[in-house]
Amino acid sequence: MKEGKILTVSELTRQIKGALENGFSDVWIQGEISNFKLHTSGHLYFTLKDEQSQISAVMWRSRAGQLMFRPNDGMKVLLHGKITVYEPRGNYQIDCAQIQPLGKGELQIAFEQLKQKLLDEGLFDKESKKQLPEYPRRIGIVTSPTGAAIRDIISVLQRRFPAIEIVLVPVKVQGIGASAEIAAAIKDLNTQNLVDVMIIGRGGGSLEDLWAFNEEIVARAIFSSKIPVISAVGHEIDFSISDFAADLRAPTPSAAAELVVKDKSEVVELIRNYCYTMSSSMNNSIDSYRQTIAHLTQSYSFNKPHDMLRQRSQMIDELHRRLEQNLVHNFKLAKQQSQSLTARINSLNPRSVLKRGYAIIKQENRIISSLKNVKAAKPAAIEFYDGIADAEIIGKRK
Amino acid sequence: MPKKESKNSFEQSLTRLEKIVNLLEQGDVPLDESLKMFEEGVLLSKECMEALNKAEVKIKQLTKDLNGKLQLTDFEE
Repeated sequence: MKEGKILTVSELTRQIKGALENGFSDVWIQGEISNFKLHTSGHLYFTLKDEQSQISAVMWRSRAGQLMFRPNDGMKVLLHGKITVYEPRGNYQIDCAQIQPLGKGELQIAFEQLKQKLLDEGLFDKESKKQLPEYPRRIGIVTSPTGAAIRDIISVLQRRFPAIEIVLVPVKVQGIGASAEIAAAIKDLNTQNLVDVMIIGRGGGSLEDLWAFNEEIVARAIFSSKIPVISAVGHEIDFSISDFAADLRAPTPSAAAELVVKDKSEVVELIRNYCYTMSSSMNNSIDSYRQTIAHLTQSYSFNKPHDMLRQRSQMIDELHRRLEQNLVHNFKLAKQQSQSLTARINSLNPRSVLKRGYAIIKQENRIISSLKNVKAAKPAAIEFYDGIADAEIIGKRK
Repeated sequence: MPKKESKNSFEQSLTRLEKIVNLLEQGDVPLDESLKMFEEGVLLSKECMEALNKAEVKIKQLTKDLNGKLQLTDFEE
């Protein structure tokens, strides 16, 4: 710079621009974003600041489109870029090639932002979760045909509940286009309506590897699926957006296979229990019928006719006894009467009178009880108690 | 391409079996009817057991052919 030379504004600015842009062509700078603006042109404008200073920053659309997350005010970031001078206004700014969130990774931020967005939209609502079928017949699996996930799932299903069919929809699970393939597979299973439930997922990997399952397109496909979806991405510690959108999250693909079917032995046990309960209920009910019958046959009313019969028979016995008693009594009475009559008859026997000195006179075998019946000069018989004397009537007198 | 049945027979059988068991357990089904149900239940449990004892998981894959039409084929591990 020559001393004393008077410069125009443009000349000075151009010199400053040259100095700054050469001196700060590759800088890393950290600070906090403020005044963030996403211009309709797609370029990002913001200010990066710390406690004392601030610097304008810009990220052109071509770069901004590749950002996985959306920067916003208050976010602490690390910028990589160069200083440029905007001559018309004499401003200098940093032209960002890259923005990385500080503390959290870029993907992490993107994840949280999408999660929040879909949460706000209601994609994770409990009310829209579909219930899994208890005994699925066909299970759709959206994963790589060569990955560990499909092998794990098949082996678990084979062990737990082999009476099912698997419909695999082979997809790419990482890299460009993976999320679109996964979303399309979910839709295909729905249009074909072949399966009762589906598992989407893959085995473990880095956050970048699992990224397809954190894409909005996959989350929306899951949400729109009429068939229940189980999301099984990576390991237990990995949570993906698809986990939140799915009807059920499984910590791993193997776990998804465990969750989707019951254990065969449990079901066998259940059926055995059913059989047992059925038999014992049946036996109980037969026993109870038996008891009812026994109860009825012993009941008062059931036995009433029998009872009446017995009572009648008893009454007959009683009558019989009384009849017998009466007969004996009457017989005795008759006997007594007959004895006294005999005695009286005996006392009336004319022979006993004869003994006392009376006699009976008979003529022509007829008892003569009056004088006028006596026929004179005819033979007569005089009957004594001990014999008969023959006599002749000599005369009559009065 | 086979259509999905509205409800699979295994689940149907098991659900019916469960219902029969509950009805028999409550014990207010007339004897004739409960005997018939019992018979049906025994048959159902047999069917379910047979279904469970099928040995192999069947694996198919759903892919697009050259014309972009979806087709279901056997999957070779």
